Amino acid sequence: MAKKMTFDSEDEEFFGNVGSFGVPKFDNEMRGGVPRGFTMIAFTETGSGSELFAKQFTSPAEESDNTLYVATDEGQQEIVRIFKKYGWPLDINVRTIGEEYNANVLERELLASRYRLEGFQLDDIQRLAQTRFVEDNNQDYLTEVTNEIMGLGPYFRAVVDNLDFFLQRDDPARVLSMVRMLQAHAQLVRGLLLISVSTDGLDPTIKQELSSIADMVLSFRVRTIGTDFENSMVVSKFRNAPENLKILVFRVTPEEGITPETVERIA
Amino acid sequence: MQPTTVYTRDRCVTGIHGLDEILRGGIPYGSTVLAAGTCGSGKTTLGMEFLVRGALAGEACAHFTATEPSVKLLENIRQYAFFDMNMVDSGLINVFDMDVLYSWLGLDKASFELDDVHALIKAIVDIVNTIGVTRLVIDSVTTLCYKIKSEQLIRDFLFTLGKKLATLGCTTILISEITSATENAHWSSFGVEEAIADGIIVMGDSERMGHLLRFLQVVKMRGTSHSRAKHAIELTPLGVMLTPMLKWGASADKTSRWGQ
Repeated sequence: MAKKMTFDSEDEEFFGNVGSFGVPKFDNEMRGGVPRGFTMIAFTETGSGSELFAKQFTSPAEESDNTLYVATDEGQQEIVRIFKKYGWPLDINVRTIGEEYNANVLERELLASRYRLEGFQLDDIQRLAQTRFVEDNNQDYLTEVTNEIMGLGPYFRAVVDNLDFFLQRDDPARVLSMVRMLQAHAQLVRGLLLISVSTDGLDPTIKQELSSIADMVLSFRVRTIGTDFENSMVVSKFRNAPENLKILVFRVTPEEGITPETVERIA
Repeated sequence: MQPTTVYTRDRCVTGIHGLDEILRGGIPYGSTVLAAGTCGSGKTTLGMEFLVRGALAGEACAHFTATEPSVKLLENIRQYAFFDMNMVDSGLINVFDMDVLYSWLGLDKASFELDDVHALIKAIVDIVNTIGVTRLVIDSVTTLCYKIKSEQLIRDFLFTLGKKLATLGCTTILISEITSATENAHWSSFGVEEAIADGIIVMGDSERMGHLLRFLQVVKMRGTSHSRAKHAIELTPLGVMLTPMLKWGASADKTSRWGQ
């Protein structure tokens, strides 16, 4: 039997049926924002502004301790710098998987290469002779992130930027089943989940699978027009509301971050 | 006619009761000896006592354990009175856990390629060279070689390792696990270890009047004459004791049994 959740009426009133994109003009264009319980998959191109959008999506942070930003490429310092720059809340939960991976795995691999190339020094040998256990470095980041998001309560807001890290290191079938679980959790507790994945080298079957799991599919694109770049967000799937499918052209301003273009280009 | 001067190689006196007599003074220095034995035949104890006797004589010793975790090895060996944990704590006997070494070298994987084998040899030789190890035990070379998939690579690994250790004057015991220690058995799991080793010591069990007796036999030892007779082993708190086995003792030798 399906699990049933009950929600506090005050919460229902406070959070409403939709949550903000973090970009007010996007909310206006999309009839108020993202329906609560939606999982969005954002297919991204390099330079399309998706990383900034991912951060901006967390900025409404209705409950900061129920808001999670998982970054796989950026470090804490860079994220804090961007949040400070735009005046977004700094008290949300941030997990930088890339940094953790660098510290746990890459540094170890670098040290192993040094030992292999240069050999052991006397103090290395002394430490080796006193080390009785192998450090467990086989951290399962996929399970950890899944558990972390599954642990978030009703009306959570979470971003995974991006899925490439997991698709490169784990069995894609496992990654897809993680996304399925997270989608079910978001739906159950009326959370908002944004997962980005870059289109460069993405297997079409995985893309298809992710699109079918998602409630909303976004594509972040960039193209050149004359000497300018034009960034756009294409909403190519909106579950049960196909009338909401749109192409939203945006630019990045130092004040507001992602800002939709209000003037439609002709060319 | 003038008597000719007989050249004898310097020996690594094992200190193991009875073994040096069998080897006419000990293992020739720098030899790589395969100690092949069935399970429970006393290989690890023999290897550890070899190191303890060396450490007591002031030699730097190293033990690489691949068969069991070093913690477990040390716990098991502590019950012997000849062993003193202070030797490990003070660095006289350096016990290396192979799993830790693999991890440090980035070799925590199912099978080794050529580069990995070279990295492993370099690491072991580095350790021996840096701390001036003169007695080394690898327990067991069988477990270690399971990760090397090609017979050619196993041969290269053992040959190169043996050669480099010999150059450094390190006497090495490579412990090998075998399933049978009978006359027709191989003295190694992969069939290549025995060809490369300078010496082969076989350890096993022999049934006698309903009891399993441990035995040791030196099958081959380059650079020295030695007894090839089977010797009974007793693992006593004071160490390994070897005594000659009487011919009539083995159950297989029914025709010469006492009274028949």
